[in-house]
Amino acid sequence: MYDFIKDPSLYNFVRGPLVWVAFIIFIGGSIYQLRSLILLAKKEKVVYPYMDLKLSLRSLLHWLIPFNSRNWRLRPVVTTVTFLFHIGLVFTPIFLLSHNILWRESWGITWWTLPEGFGDIMTIIVIASCVFFLLRRIFAPEVRFVTFADDYLILAIAFLPFISGFLAYHQWLLPHKIMVIVHMIFGSLMLIAIPFTRLGHMLYFFLTRAYMGSDQGYRHSQDW
Amino acid sequence: MAEASVKESVKKEDWLKLKRKSVSDPGFDETVKNLTPEKIEKAVNAVLNIGKNAGRFMAPLETCIHCALCSDACHWYLSHDKDPTYAPVAKVKMTLWELIKRKGKVSPEFMKQVARIVFCECNLCRRCSMYCPFGLDIAYQLGMVRRICFILGLVPQNILDQTHSLSATLTQLWITQADWIDTMQWQEEEVRADIKNVRIPVDKEGADVMWCPLGTEPKVATYHIARTAKIMNVAGIDWTVSAQDGWDSANMGMFIRDMETMQRVVRGIYDNAMRLKIKRIVLTE
Repeated sequence: MYDFIKDPSLYNFVRGPLVWVAFIIFIGGSIYQLRSLILLAKKEKVVYPYMDLKLSLRSLLHWLIPFNSRNWRLRPVVTTVTFLFHIGLVFTPIFLLSHNILWRESWGITWWTLPEGFGDIMTIIVIASCVFFLLRRIFAPEVRFVTFADDYLILAIAFLPFISGFLAYHQWLLPHKIMVIVHMIFGSLMLIAIPFTRLGHMLYFFLTRAYMGSDQGYRHSQDW
Repeated sequence: MAEASVKESVKKEDWLKLKRKSVSDPGFDETVKNLTPEKIEKAVNAVLNIGKNAGRFMAPLETCIHCALCSDACHWYLSHDKDPTYAPVAKVKMTLWELIKRKGKVSPEFMKQVARIVFCECNLCRRCSMYCPFGLDIAYQLGMVRRICFILGLVPQNILDQTHSLSATLTQLWITQADWIDTMQWQEEEVRADIKNVRIPVDKEGADVMWCPLGTEPKVATYHIARTAKIMNVAGIDWTVSAQDGWDSANMGMFIRDMETMQRVVRGIYDNAMRLKIKRIVLTE
């Protein structure tokens, strides 16, 4: 078993074809899911006539600014954790130094890079936020009542790439090479899962928010 | 014996042990006796099949992350000491998600519970959509559950009766055309005690405003008509009311998602506005 994991062909497979497959499924699946939802909405008589670009952008901006909407202000802790978590989740993988080195080695492309220590802090924030969400699922009564097994599953899917990446960076628990392989598998898993699980809320957010913003704005109501 | 066998089929997900005051309404209690699991399955699947082709229905199902941030919006939740079973998402969970999960294979008793939740514990006010970070249309989903209940007849009796009246007469409370015109003329006389030679113009073509009252106004609250007439006259508005059916703006079909009657009521009002060449429709409420 150990020899199998140590074999460079596994590393090469995970780093090469698996990542390709993950990205193709992620991008293709996302486009497919968004397209099918847009087509579904088009079939309804009452969605498109209300849609308005200005009102949609107003609503998106309103909710993407922390503590701007009433509900963000009502729950300051949840708001803080939610924003930190999502910023870390989306931007850390894109701007992390180790990831950028891989991009440069493979394709020779480079872009901005986070300072190493900062990337580490962002990862810790994401991990801590996952723990916070887990505790909230268990202890907040209104959340516990609507929690299903798959809620824990999607939380785990988001959690595992970050904890494995963190351990790989610090070379803890498992030998570095194995941990990197584990990290890549979890990362690919998350990319594949996004279009096909409720992690897709990342994609649908922009559509549903735009619809509700237009729908309420059409009636001269502000976003709360 | 019968009671025992019912108890056996009760699952934890039936939510029959919720702390609730019992709601006794013939629309629930009598209708549920005639329901069979087959009828329920057919009604549920009919509505869910329509839902599958509706973006507004599918998007919240695939997006909701079960964060329960909508709960603070709900006056039912707040006024019941933050009882989690009154949160908007909890109501969707206890009704729609459960119906989808079991593909409509539920007991009549469960359906009665569902009807109580969507009719007696939610006002479809859409406030939760203003609190949801995603802006999910939660009220629309619960409205679809109301549609299932309506198809099964599990509707509060007085609303169902008023919807029947609308579907038969296009008025909320079985008012005939003769009664309606007579009421207008009677109120015209009443108002003349206060304002000399005032008119309630019925069917005046080319007026600026057509006023569409609720059926309750000619039926039980005629003084509203007199007051409206006074306001319109003093304000100097060129107004009228329609003599033909389609003057009643009480759209009870909308509340129970009887879409067919709902559309006919709205259409009746617009038809009258077109017939009388009206510039603006004014509704009570």
